[in-house]
Amino acid sequence: MIWPFQKLVGMPRVAAIEHPFGRPYGDVGDAETQMAVLRAALAVFDSAKAPGHVEHLPFTWHEEPKETKWHPAEPSPIIALMKKRREKS
Amino acid sequence: MTTRQVDPWRFAGRFLENVLSGSIPDEPAYAEIPWTPVQKPLSESKLALLSTAGISMKGDKPFDMEGERKRPTWGDPSWRALRSDATCATIESNHLHIDTGYIERDLNVALPLDRLRELVGSGEVGSMADTHYSIMGFQGADSSVLENESAPEIARSMVAEQVDLVLLAPV
Repeated sequence: MIWPFQKLVGMPRVAAIEHPFGRPYGDVGDAETQMAVLRAALAVFDSAKAPGHVEHLPFTWHEEPKETKWHPAEPSPIIALMKKRREKS
Repeated sequence: MTTRQVDPWRFAGRFLENVLSGSIPDEPAYAEIPWTPVQKPLSESKLALLSTAGISMKGDKPFDMEGERKRPTWGDPSWRALRSDATCATIESNHLHIDTGYIERDLNVALPLDRLRELVGSGEVGSMADTHYSIMGFQGADSSVLENESAPEIARSMVAEQVDLVLLAPV
């Protein structure tokens, strides 16, 4: 989750989390983490007192980034286009 | 629940971080951030979920991946209604920027309807909406249709169902 984007677009309350793309609430079959994240996000409705509030949730993903697979099988069209442009420049 | 600051680039990879990290202004793009005070306790509130994972009910029109393949700077700006009893067997996820296989194995990783149902069962949440929602997170160079057409339509649907709180989870 790239929470600065949520801040940029003016989300009134942001619960930032350091989980990989595609699985914001937790991993497949990990109901315990999914529930904990859901509860923590809901708690921000109570803790946020002003617009633009960003709360950083204390969750640590169970894999290191280099071990975590979240990319699609093929690069997205915009990424492919950007890489192509970089190679040309 | 304030702890260390979340690193937004931890899983992004060097290419994305190099391209994006310096281009996001620190201040919101809008002069005024919308704010609606919470009206009632969570235990009395009706909750809806919204995911940016390009989820649709099987049988409904899927999010347009071919259009994005043809025009890489365009993202499908439409939205889909999802039933509260949606499961992996009844949905599909069409999103070219993530591995959607996880969502197709366990919908709760991005749209935790089962977990929400459990919170309603335990009384922590008042009720869950009959309808939940998905959009396509990637909007490319122009998000105006999503902002000016889809978002108001989604909001009207939520108001019609008397939804009190919404959790939007970007993927």
